[in-house]
Amino acid sequence: MASSTLDPARRQARLAGHIFVIGFLALWILYSSLVESYVMPGPWLVLSRLGLMFTDVHEIGHMFYSFAHIISSVVISFVIGSALAFLAHYLDIFEMMVHGRLSPFLNSFSGIGWTFLAIIWFGISDVTVIFVISMVLIPFAMINMREALVNLDQERIEMSVSFTRSGWRQFRLIVLPSLYPFIFATIRISFGVAWKVALTAELFGGNTGLGYMLNLARQDFDMPLVLAVIVVIIAFVYSTDRWIFVPIQAHLARHHASV
Amino acid sequence: MPASDRTRKAPGASPMKRILSHLSAEGLIIGAIVFWYLLSLELPEIIVPRPFNVAEQMWVFFSDVNYIGHVAASTIRVILGVFIAVVLGSLLALLPHWLPVADVIVHERIKPFLNSFPSIGWAILAIIWFGPSHGTIVFIITMILTPFCLVNVSEGLKEIDHELLEMARSFTRRPVVLLFKVTLPLLMPYIISAIRIAYGVGWKIALVAELFGSESGLGFLLQQAQSVADSATVYATCFAIVLIFWVGEKIVIDPLSRKFSIEKAAG
Repeated sequence: MASSTLDPARRQARLAGHIFVIGFLALWILYSSLVESYVMPGPWLVLSRLGLMFTDVHEIGHMFYSFAHIISSVVISFVIGSALAFLAHYLDIFEMMVHGRLSPFLNSFSGIGWTFLAIIWFGISDVTVIFVISMVLIPFAMINMREALVNLDQERIEMSVSFTRSGWRQFRLIVLPSLYPFIFATIRISFGVAWKVALTAELFGGNTGLGYMLNLARQDFDMPLVLAVIVVIIAFVYSTDRWIFVPIQAHLARHHASV
Repeated sequence: MPASDRTRKAPGASPMKRILSHLSAEGLIIGAIVFWYLLSLELPEIIVPRPFNVAEQMWVFFSDVNYIGHVAASTIRVILGVFIAVVLGSLLALLPHWLPVADVIVHERIKPFLNSFPSIGWAILAIIWFGPSHGTIVFIITMILTPFCLVNVSEGLKEIDHELLEMARSFTRRPVVLLFKVTLPLLMPYIISAIRIAYGVGWKIALVAELFGSESGLGFLLQQAQSVADSATVYATCFAIVLIFWVGEKIVIDPLSRKFSIEKAAG
């Protein structure tokens, strides 16, 4: 139905997109038939390994571990990052400390640096993985929430003063709803970054999760498993963004766009 | 204090507030170092080395020829990776501009694919495909940075003044002249913004790539230090990267950014 309403140029572009994917798959099949499977396994081999991943309880468990690492880190980093942004916003004397010192430092500190330090401090464990992901995500949360607070509609807040003098009621009924789109955008960005960081953190500093699986696969030259894990990540990151985050954000933007 | 009063920023902060601001900002740094020192007295050197030992090791990074070589290797790889990614990302962004039929290929196939591809995945695949080498590390950095540049330059193409482009077309039909005299100068602020993002991410990626496929660079040093439990070098490498990153941003990226600001491009 939708495709019939597309203009011819758009239809051509879509067709070119499909041809591109088919060409990519054909090239992959051709190349994999020319080299050993430990260099480049064919799509069928990767697909069958992917099927096995979803039937093996142990491997499903690793996927859940990665998911748990990511959810915990997103929550922790959001709480810490937002608290720091609020501190800097409501208490002027801390603005330079938070946004002039802490944020640039955390922003330029490499994730792998945190991983190695966390291994020294906490050993190979889930704590290390969650700590690393959180440390990488905190500056994202700080910067995004700062933008949210700077963009608050002052007239709307002033109006709320004429209705109530209670700071908590103003915060709960006016400030917080105004922040929803930014809060959501922060969580969305954090979620996308967290997947990538989680793999590195789990690979070096974890004993569970997809990154740990990737490490085992790499050591065994199990390329079908390496590619299957990558496919899971790509599919997960893309589909959650496209079918969960984008619609929710569009909904929030419609209801809070004037903020 | 009501929320409205608290959220409204004063146009000019009082001298007392400025002093308190500086006190809290520099106090954080001094406090962190003091806390670190006290912690290092209580905990073994292998877990928390003394701040002075780490500072000494950092000095070695920038004074010893051997270590300078490692710093230079990482820096050159980052610069090369950023350069190739900016060129590749810009070309990919310009492709649908020149050839509209490629719009879905670039924005709905290549961009989401590269964007969601995990960096560690590129590192593992590149090492298996090409073996450990300088080229492999540059390849890994490039593959990870390209989507950032593609997104930024595409945004720039959406934002630039299309009437200016129309007018330019009435003067010449030569695409090369149009590209170099009109499109690229208008896109420069967005390209610089892409360079800024790519430079920041590039340093982080270079370390990961060097852990897998290199016998030089700061990532290699980090790996080596960790394997012999040399905590001072692990700490020093982490701080050296922050320092190099900051210096690069101040002496290269910031001046470039000022030179090609959006206001100047529009003017």
